[in-house]
Amino acid sequence: MAQQKKPRTLSGATTNKAPKISGAEAATQRELLRQAREREERERKVRRTVTFGTLGVVVIGLVVLLIAVVVPALSKKAAAAGSYGLTVGADSAPVTVDIYQDFICPYCGQFDRAQSADLKSLVDAGSVKVVFHVMNFLDSSSNGTKYSTRAADAFVTVAKQQPSAALAFDTALYTDQPAEGSDGLTDAQIADRARSAGVSASVIATFANQPNLDFVTKSNQAAFDEGIQSTPTVKINGTVFKGDLYTAGAFKTAIQAAK
Amino acid sequence: MSDLVDRVHTFRQSNVWIYSTMLVSACLSLLASFVLSVDAIALAKDPHANLSCNINSRISCGTVGVSWQAHLFGFPNAFLGLLAEPVVITIAVACLAKVRFPRGFMLAAQIVYTLGVIFAYWLFFQALFGIGALCPWCLLVTLSTTLVFASLTHINLRDNNLFLPPRAHEAGKAALRMGIDIMIVTLWLGAAIALVFWKYGATVFG
Repeated sequence: MAQQKKPRTLSGATTNKAPKISGAEAATQRELLRQAREREERERKVRRTVTFGTLGVVVIGLVVLLIAVVVPALSKKAAAAGSYGLTVGADSAPVTVDIYQDFICPYCGQFDRAQSADLKSLVDAGSVKVVFHVMNFLDSSSNGTKYSTRAADAFVTVAKQQPSAALAFDTALYTDQPAEGSDGLTDAQIADRARSAGVSASVIATFANQPNLDFVTKSNQAAFDEGIQSTPTVKINGTVFKGDLYTAGAFKTAIQAAK
Repeated sequence: MSDLVDRVHTFRQSNVWIYSTMLVSACLSLLASFVLSVDAIALAKDPHANLSCNINSRISCGTVGVSWQAHLFGFPNAFLGLLAEPVVITIAVACLAKVRFPRGFMLAAQIVYTLGVIFAYWLFFQALFGIGALCPWCLLVTLSTTLVFASLTHINLRDNNLFLPPRAHEAGKAALRMGIDIMIVTLWLGAAIALVFWKYGATVFG
């Protein structure tokens, strides 16, 4: 479009000039124009390549994202989950509360500190059984000490061998909970808290061997496979409780209503 | 199709498009900074405050907000956004109204904003690999800061506010005409998004 105009001005210019220099000047001008047009065409080509290349990369990226992230997430939800729940309380209890937790997760601590007294009284009264699902996906948040795994390992030991002390041990781990990003509690401190929660010395002695590492990892995976995406996730009779987890009251009311 | 590409590229070079992008991005960045500042005050009152964007263990403004990185200079980083973004908004609005700022002024803006972008990406990497949690408002800051930087650099390269030697300036302008800048920005943002998904996978959806 613009290319049509330029030659016209060029020819106009040639007629107006003195004949002697006009030939040489016109040739130079024509040469310059030709170079400009060539450059424009070159840039146009590069621009097209760059544009479609970038678009292509974006499209490929989206497809890869879809296949690598979205599809596995959906199919995992569909896959059957193994059972790694640790039940505390009377089997005959009419209400089941499932708790998915990681011992270094600050909100799990907040939840426990707000609700443990209510939960304990309900479990003691035989109206609720609690199924704990330990998770260790926050292992990277304890400066390499893998506090999530160590605490979960000890907790699984207690829940399996001395379930009557499990609730108290759970609460003991969340009292003065180590911050996310800290080293977590040392193994000795975990043992101390178990002792204060009434776990027997013989059970505590088995902590050192970390007998449940495999269980903890699989429990974590099973929770993810079930579709758990955050901790704490709390279910009452299989339905996720969406009310206020961090203040005492609403949770207890919901449990009593579920009877 | 190819004609459309040329038209899009021509529009992309126009002042209206460049300054509008800058204006909208700076407004988004200001909004995010404001929310983060309010959150920082709430967290200062109560470190366990349950913020609206504490979606899960991976997406949590609270976890990010109480980290040392969030107060690198002794006050919440978001305050820097509150200070800087209104200046960008002013520049963008003035330029949309055809004001021409002196080259030195634009160069100073470029230098300060470059430091801002570096800081924003340092925080992005800290959140991803150090803190281990992301916050949606911080990600909005990362995105909009990138876009403001891209448009500011576009203008300054085009108008040679960067005091480049003529040959470098010509090469820069040619690169802009060929859309190299938009390719870099797109791939850069794409890489950032891919990094988030690679690190956190599907958790970011929930």
